[in-house]
Amino acid sequence: MKKRIIALVFCSTSLAVLGLAQTAELPASAPVEKELAAHASNVDEVTLGKNMLGLASAFMKGKDKDDAETRKMIEGLDGIYVRDYEFAKQGEFSAEQVEQLRKYYETTEWSPIVRDHDSKTGESADIMIKMVNGKSDGLFILDVEPKEISIVLILGPVNMEQLGQLKNLALLGALNGAKAAPSGNGKH
Amino acid sequence: MELEPMDEFEQELRQAFERWPAPPGLKRKLMERRHKPTQRSWFAWPGFAASLVSVSLCVAAVLTFYGSHERQQEKERREGEDARQQVLTALRITSHALDHMNQQLAAHNRANHESSQE
Repeated sequence: MKKRIIALVFCSTSLAVLGLAQTAELPASAPVEKELAAHASNVDEVTLGKNMLGLASAFMKGKDKDDAETRKMIEGLDGIYVRDYEFAKQGEFSAEQVEQLRKYYETTEWSPIVRDHDSKTGESADIMIKMVNGKSDGLFILDVEPKEISIVLILGPVNMEQLGQLKNLALLGALNGAKAAPSGNGKH
Repeated sequence: MELEPMDEFEQELRQAFERWPAPPGLKRKLMERRHKPTQRSWFAWPGFAASLVSVSLCVAAVLTFYGSHERQQEKERREGEDARQQVLTALRITSHALDHMNQQLAAHNRANHESSQE
């Protein structure tokens, strides 16, 4: 009986640790994101772990070409963390808040490949990649526009060529058209 | 000669008690009947009620199983579709960010090019 209890405790602990290990990959939101979300007129939040990506992938197994392309793109990824804050007017976020965001995500394992800041307009673009054994194992984008901040964090082997072809996906075009409509993730 | 009523009764009694040989095959028929399972009416109350309850329970169990199975499938389908939509939203934002970044870099390149020509 005692052995069974020990085995049960061991199994539950292992499962909990496995679960944590899987979600630990995706970062927690930066504290400044709460402030940004509070002032934003529209917020899109997507957090997908490996399991959810697998589920989404399973639902893209139709004959649709776009679905097949998207599936190829997300297969093998460990997680996707995306935040998009849209603001009704300019000046609703400060350069300090953007800097706080950048510092939060800029850790030693990420190498910057693009860093473009326009002091006149306040627009900026940062791209960092995570290299593991000489291969890209993650992509981070921080895109700041006068009325929009986008954070994209993709964990896992990222195929840059496929990412470059994103705009060719008709499905995304359709989503852009329907962007004004309320979505489950958005704050309106 | 006419028999007396008592004699007639005796005669009948004697005939009734007289031993007759069993017809051929009687023993075999009896043995066969003994080994044959008894045919009972299908509508024997306790058995029928028990069967009815069992069948009802089975039907209820099957319906419950299929009901929960379908609900589970529907839940999984909804979750899958939701995950798919979230992936598309993430890719849309990624595409937009990359697009904006390209425009910004192209604008800077143009500006640098123009200033170098001047």
